[in-house]
Amino acid sequence: MSALAALFARELRLSWAGGGGAAGPAAFNLAALTLAPLAIGPSAETLAAAAPGVIAFALLLSALQSAERMFGEDTADGTLELYALAGPGLALAALVKMAAFALASLWPAPLIAFFAGLAYGLSAEASFALAAGLALAAPGLVMIAGFAGALSAGLKRAGLLIALIAAPLQVPILIFASGAGRAAAEGTGLAGANLMMTAAASLLALVLAPMGAAAALKGRLE
Amino acid sequence: MWSYFANPGRFDGLARTLIPWTAGLTVVLFAVGIPWALVVSPPDYQQGETIRIMHVHVPAAWLSMAAYAGLGASSFVYFVWRHNLADLAARSLAPIGAVFAALCLLTGSLWGRPMWGAWWVWDARLTSMLVLFLLFCGYIALRVAIEDERLAARSGAVLAMAGLINLPIIKFSVDWWNTLHQPASVIRFDGPTIHASQLWPLLVMTLAFTVFMVTLVLSLMRSMILETRAIALGRAIERRAEAEARR
Repeated sequence: MSALAALFARELRLSWAGGGGAAGPAAFNLAALTLAPLAIGPSAETLAAAAPGVIAFALLLSALQSAERMFGEDTADGTLELYALAGPGLALAALVKMAAFALASLWPAPLIAFFAGLAYGLSAEASFALAAGLALAAPGLVMIAGFAGALSAGLKRAGLLIALIAAPLQVPILIFASGAGRAAAEGTGLAGANLMMTAAASLLALVLAPMGAAAALKGRLE
Repeated sequence: MWSYFANPGRFDGLARTLIPWTAGLTVVLFAVGIPWALVVSPPDYQQGETIRIMHVHVPAAWLSMAAYAGLGASSFVYFVWRHNLADLAARSLAPIGAVFAALCLLTGSLWGRPMWGAWWVWDARLTSMLVLFLLFCGYIALRVAIEDERLAARSGAVLAMAGLINLPIIKFSVDWWNTLHQPASVIRFDGPTIHASQLWPLLVMTLAFTVFMVTLVLSLMRSMILETRAIALGRAIERRAEAEARR
C-alpha cells in the first residue's frame, strides 16, 4: 500500500514539477471554451443550446491532450520495468498513475464547466448539473485516455493513435455527461438519470481500463 | 478439434480445399441474389425503387457487426492461448469489417437522401455504425503503427476486447441519445414485418455476402501464412549463402 502511496505522491510531484505542466489541460480547456463562442456566433439562444455539448467536449479534448505523456515517458526511460517488478503489480500502478494525473490536471474542470455554463447563458442549476456530470465523467475519460496512451506508449504519432482509439470508447461518457447538463437546461427531469449513467460508465472504465492498460504495458516488457 | 486445426500447415490444407467451394457458392448465390434483388423483386409501395439499396445495405451492416464480433472473439483466443491463427483471423477480419461498415454507411447515405431528404442524420443507428467504423480504424491504425509483430498482435487483441466490451454500452448510450431509424424488422419475436417478396432476396443476398466474407477471410489468412513462410525461407536461404561465403 505504501508503495502505491509513494507512487501517487511521485506522480503528483512530477506533474507539478518544472513550472506547472499539469495546468496544460486546464489551459487548453479554457482556451477552447473561450474560442468556441467566437466560432458559433454571439446568438444567446444558440450558445445556451450548444453549451452542455461544447463544454463536455472541451473536457474530453483536454483529457486526451496529455495522455501521450502518461505512459510514454515511463516506457522510454525504463521506469515501467520497475513498476512491473514492484509488489502491487502493473494494473494497480496504472490505476494510481492515471488517478494522480486526473487529480493533478483535471481538478479545475468542474469549476471551469460551472462558470463556462453561466457565461454561455445556462441557468445556475443547469450549470451545476453539467459541472457535476463532468466531475463524474473526468475519471472515466482519463482512464480511457490512459488506456489508449498505454496501447500507443513509445510509438511515433502516438497522439493521433490516442485520439483514434480513445474517441469511440469515450462516446457513452460524453453522451451521458452532456446529457445531464442538457436535461437540466431543458427541464426534462432526466438530469439525475444522466448523472447516474455517467457515474456508471465512469466506474466501469475505472475497473477495466487499468487492467487493459496493464495488459498493454506488459507486452512491452517481454 | 480446434487445437488440431490451430496448426498453420493443417489450416492451410483445410483452407485450400474450402476456398474453391465457398468461392463457388459465393458466385452462385450472387448470380441468383443480384438479379432477384435488383430486378425481379417488386418496388416498395412507399420507398419505390430505392428499397433495392437495402439488399446491399442490410447485409453490409450485419457483416460489419459479425466481423467485429469475430475480431473480438479471435482476439480473446489469441490473448489467452496465443494461437497464431487467431491473430491472423483478427488481422484479416479488421479491414474487411471496416470496408463493410463503410459500405453500410455509404449505401445508407444514398438511401437517406431521397427518403429522409438528407445525406446524413445524427440518428442512433447511423451514429453507432459510424462509431463501429472508427473502432475498426483505430484497430487497424494501432497495428500498423507497431513494428514488432508480437507486440502489435497483443496490443491489437487488448484493444479489440476493450471495444467488444464497450460496444453494447455505446449502442445503448446512442439509443438513449436519439432515435429515428426504423426499428428492427427482420428478426423479431412476432415474425418479420417485411414482406416475403423482399425478405427472400434479402436473405439470399445476406447469405451471399456472408459466404463472400468467409472466402475473403480464409484467403487472407492463407496468404498471410504463405507470406510468413516465404519470409522464413528467404532468411534461411540468406543464412545458407552467408555460411557458404564464409567457408
